[in-house]
Parts: sequence; structure tokens; C-alpha cells
Amino acid sequence: MSGISATVGAVWKQESARIVAGLLRLVHDVGLAEEMAQEALVAALEQWPAAGVPDNPGAWLMTIAKRRAVDHLRRSSRLTDLDAERPASGSHTGAPDAPGAPAGGDIQGEPGSGDDVLRLMFIACHPVLPTGARVALTLRVVAGLTAAEIARAFLTGEAAIAQRIAAAKRTLAEAQVAYGLPDGAELRERLSSVLEVVYLIFNEGYSATSGAELIRGDLCLEALRLGRLLAGLAPDQAEVHGLVALMEIQQSRAGARTGPDGEPVPLHEQNRGRWDRLLIERGFAAMLRAREAGGPPGPYLLQAAIAVCHTAEKTDWVRVAALYESLERLMPTPVVRLNRAVAVGFADGPQAGLDLLDDVQLADYHLLPGVRGDLLVRLGRPAEARRELERAAGLTRNTAERDFLLRRAASLALPEHDGPLLGLSADSFLTGLAPATARAYEQSLRRIVRALGERTPLSAVTASQLAEACSGAWPRVAPRSWNRHVSAIRSFTTWAGTPILAAGLRSRPVESVSAPPGPRPVTGGVNLRERVLWSLLAESGARVGAVLGLNVEDLDLDDRSAGPVVWRSGTARLLPALIGDRTRGPLFLSDRRPGPGRPPAAVDLCPETGRRRLSYERAEYLCKQATGHTLRHFRGTTI
Amino acid sequence: MRYLMLSKAGSTPPDAKLYADMAAFVEELTASGVLLATGGLDPAGFKMTSEGDEITVTDGPFTEAKEAIGGFALIEVRSREEAIELGHRFRKIVGDGESVIHQVFGP
Repeated sequence: MSGISATVGAVWKQESARIVAGLLRLVHDVGLAEEMAQEALVAALEQWPAAGVPDNPGAWLMTIAKRRAVDHLRRSSRLTDLDAERPASGSHTGAPDAPGAPAGGDIQGEPGSGDDVLRLMFIACHPVLPTGARVALTLRVVAGLTAAEIARAFLTGEAAIAQRIAAAKRTLAEAQVAYGLPDGAELRERLSSVLEVVYLIFNEGYSATSGAELIRGDLCLEALRLGRLLAGLAPDQAEVHGLVALMEIQQSRAGARTGPDGEPVPLHEQNRGRWDRLLIERGFAAMLRAREAGGPPGPYLLQAAIAVCHTAEKTDWVRVAALYESLERLMPTPVVRLNRAVAVGFADGPQAGLDLLDDVQLADYHLLPGVRGDLLVRLGRPAEARRELERAAGLTRNTAERDFLLRRAASLALPEHDGPLLGLSADSFLTGLAPATARAYEQSLRRIVRALGERTPLSAVTASQLAEACSGAWPRVAPRSWNRHVSAIRSFTTWAGTPILAAGLRSRPVESVSAPPGPRPVTGGVNLRERVLWSLLAESGARVGAVLGLNVEDLDLDDRSAGPVVWRSGTARLLPALIGDRTRGPLFLSDRRPGPGRPPAAVDLCPETGRRRLSYERAEYLCKQATGHTLRHFRGTTI
Repeated sequence: MRYLMLSKAGSTPPDAKLYADMAAFVEELTASGVLLATGGLDPAGFKMTSEGDEITVTDGPFTEAKEAIGGFALIEVRSREEAIELGHRFRKIVGDGESVIHQVFGP
């Protein structure tokens, strides 16, 4: 029995994309198409153990699925569409012979064509969907993975993935996305969305350095398979081949990237004998196809070319630097600039690399100080190098990497600076404050200490560095939040006896007067507070009680988190307006002040407005009134 | 995981239909990224044997025509079942005969 179900699973993985794609042509609804395909899969699991695996299992599955689809269309009286799609009776030789299969053998199973599969990929990666949904849906309907398999690969729960996929299907149905293949400029744009999804899947597997590594490695293979499939379907698109080339070449190093204990091995120390020659050759072949397809080289092809340079026995850094320069023109991102600086550092010397980093803004990205530190080491400036490396260590989330950076920093010989270090000064400043003030200041101060380096001597910090660190840490905050940060830092510099350091920090004018008590302004028919609550529930997936229990002082707006509750851009946009000029107390407040009869507990009372925390019952009632759903319904609904 | 399939020449003489079906099969598997490499083999070949310090080269053929390996395919699949399933499809196309399939360890 288990042998048969394994066979069914294997057939499914090989055929599901074409089956779903063929059904999609019939029903124009991904959710419905997949449902029909699943029904066919269930029928196979029921019937094959007794009847044996049919000669042409793909056609068998397709036939069953198509009959279900036809039944469905009949019920929705859309037979006119159907007649156009139905193949002539008896035209197909792979007729299934399954006993117990539904009657009505005039509908034959012909899995979808290449174009159908291409359409399916375009729809699964449609721009109306959030990126995470595109990834999950593509793995589900194109790669044929189960929700459980996707969840394992992304180290998350099966329910979350299932929910994400269901939401994606709903979004597609509601948006009534066009089923046809786009052309011209739209084709290129939609294609780049597909490529992005495939590369995201690849990177998710490739950059995994922990946990169930084997499973994550499988993601790379899924992405490769998807890329190769796409290259077969859209062979005239240069960037498709560029992406395949990039993935093949990166994947060729999979066996050499980790040492015996799972530790990462840097490229130039890898055992080249363990590189997969076959994949390297396939990568080269894909690059040639990209070039044949014509047009100026796109970002993926350029990255593939860079990867190829690193394949050579001795890296041609001048060429790599030139390729990064081209890439930066197409993708002017700080990360590309950072990589270019590394290459230029080798090609034209460390000072040239360092110069390129002058105007790079990458808040909290550990590689920036890491690269700076590297270049400074080579320039013979150990004191600055050490500071940069320690900053990098403070920013990385990977413990192995942190240890490595700290070891490097410690190995640099340098004269000790006099005077207290920034991190320790901040600690003693905070411990001397009243608890509530300390809590309010801590977040701002920690943030800046992290940006400037824990072990930077206070005496080495300049006013302009401090000002720069602040504008880098809080680039787009409301004036009120900015002023809150600034006053925390001013207070610290005054305490430390260096008030001059805050000279570069200006408070910002606050335009609006504070909102009057009572219900807040209503936007789009729904109160701002409700919108924040629902969006926070949706984005964080946290428990309703945990979200209602949040306090203003718990929120790290820049990190978009409050302890375990983490949110995304939607909530981040709304939050500042909801917080206003409050600095502490419950985030979600009730509309009215509490009556005299039932004084709330101190933790549920806002010290600034006198209003109480919004109760679960009231929030639930408002939610049902407005949407017809319970609050729990919103948990983790979008990504 | 990768599997290497070695197929013996077989007794069914290839005809135009077999060539066409085979070409379509190879094309499909290549496009979907499953087939990494494939090729036909010269039935003769040569054999190298080492014994002590001595290495000898003997020219083939060594076996009956129908026992000789006629072709190979290197595939990349998710599971043994997928390899079996593809083997099924291959054997259906080529007719009577046999293939031997081994998992390939390494990179």
C-alpha cells in the first residue's frame, strides 16, 4: 500500500503542474483547478492499490480531474466555455481504464501544454500577491509540494502555509486576474516577478546555515527545476537563461560550501575538486543561450558572469569590479554597491574600495561595517578596523559569524584608547534612571550604541558621527518620535559630561495639535485603531490577547517588533499615527474614560490620556460589526 | 538525488516511431530539468584490467550484442519512486529489454 502511495506521490510531483495548468485553462481559477486536481489524486490513492498503476498515470489523473471540472462547470451552467475546450471524442489513445472511474468517457485526459504551465507560473507569481504568497503558491501548484513539505523547507508551521496558500487563491479569484499570457513590456515585467520568486526559493535554500539543512537544500533543487522548466517554456527570454546559469553555478558549489561539521567554507578556501563540473558546464551553456537570446545583459546574467569569475583558479578582480559596475547601473542598491566596493578593494586597492562606501546607507546591515573593517585592516588602520569589526559583530544574528568577527577584532593589535566605552557608559547611565524613564530611553540609546559600536570609546565619537548615526537609524520617523529619540540621547550626552556631542541633533517642529479625547478620526469607514489591530494580527499572527496587551513603550518601531510580536510594512505605516505623542501605556485604548465604578488595573490605564486598555470583548464586538469575522480570523491571514 | 540508468541494447529493433517518441521524451525531461546527461554507447568499447603492477587493455566487444550496455541517462529526481516512474516511461517506449538503475552518490 505504502509502495503505491509513494508511486502516486511521485507521479503527482511530475505531473501536477501540467494537470493544474490544463484545468486552469478550463476553469480559469487556480483554487478550483487545484481542488479538482487534488480530487483526482484522492481517486488515484483509492483506486490504484487495487487496480494497479495505469499505463499512463498522468493522463489518468487528468481525465478524472477534468471530469470533476466538467461536472463543476455543468453545475455553474458554463457549458458554452466547455464545448470549446472539449477535445473530439476518441481522439486520444491514452484512455484510462480505471475500474470505478466515473462514466462519461468522452472527456479525455490531456495534461496542459507548455504554454498552459507558463500561464500557471505567471498567475502563481502575479503582482497582486504578496511575495511570500507567490513563493508558497508556486511551490504548491507548479512544483507540486504539499503544504507540509513547504512548511518544513521554510521552517514554519503547516497551518501557516496552508493559510497563506488559501489566502493567495482567494486574492487571485477576487482580483479576477487575466488568464492570458501577457506580451511586450508587460511580459517582461511579469516574467521578472516569476524570476524573482524562483531566485527567492533558491536563496532560501542556499543561504540556510542551520536547522534541517538537507530539506533546505532541496529547495535549491526545486528552484533549479523551476528555472530549467521556465527556460524550456520561454527560451527567447535572455534573463531566464541568466537566472538558470546563476543558479547552476552557485549550486555547483553546494558540496564544497560546508565543512565536515557544517561550518561554512569561504569560496577561495573551497576544495574545487568537490565542485560539480556537470552543473558548472550547464551554467556555461545557459549563459551562452542567454547571449544568443540577445539584448543587453540583465541583472541575472551579470550576476552569473560574476559567479563564473569566482570559478576561475585566480579571480580576475578587475573584471568582477567592472561587472559590478554594470550591475549597479541596473540595480542601484546599497548591497550591490557594497559588493562592488569589495571587488574594487581587490582590483584598485583598499582605499578605492573604502571611498565607494562613503555614501552607503545600510542601517543595521552587519556586512557594511564588516567590509569596512576588512578594508581598514588592509590599509593598516587597526583601531578603526577593530571598531568596525566589533560593530559588525554586534549587528549580525548568526552566532558563528559573530564569534568569527570578534576573534578577528581581538587579533588586531592596537593601542587602548583612554576613557570609558560607549556601551558601558550607556549601561551606567540607564541604571541611574527611574525605571519608567530608563525603559523609555533605553530603546533609543541602545540603537545608537549599536550603530556606533559598543566598544567605541566615548572620547572617539564626534558630534557629526552621532548626528549621522541618528538620521541613519531613524530615517523616516514622525517628528514626535524623532524628538523622543533626540531627547533621550541629549540626556545621555549631558550626563556623560559631553553635551557638545548632541550639537548636531535638532528637534523637529510638530505640526498637528494632539487629538481631542473621544473616538479617533475615521478613515476609509474604519477607525484607525481597528485598522492597526487587524493589520497587526494579520501580519504578526500573534494571539489576540498578546496584541491587545501591547504597551507603547514595548514597541520598537524601527525593528517593527515588540518582543515576539513582529509586524510588517502595513502596520508600520499606520502605527505612528495611532501612537501620536504617547510614550507609554496601552497601545490600544478604549474610546471613553473609565467610569468611576470600575477603575481598571494600573497596567490597563493610559497615564497620559486617562483611558483604559481596549478590552477583548469590545474589540471583538467592533470587529464583528465591521467585518462579520472574529478577530482570530485575522491572525496570519496575509503575509 | 541522482540516478544513473544503464540500458542494454534490447531485442526490439528501433523504428521511426521509437526514435520520435524517444526524442520527445528526452526533450521533455531535459526541459523540465530532470535529465542531466544522456548518450548512446559504442557496444565494443575496451577493457582495462590491472593485476599486480600490470595493466592490460583489451579491445571489445566482450558480450553478446543484447547484453551490451547501449545507452545511459543521468537524472536528478526527488525520490527513488520518481526514478522508477521515469524508468517505467522509458521502458514503455523502448520495448522489451532491461535497464539497470543505480543511485549516484556525491556531489
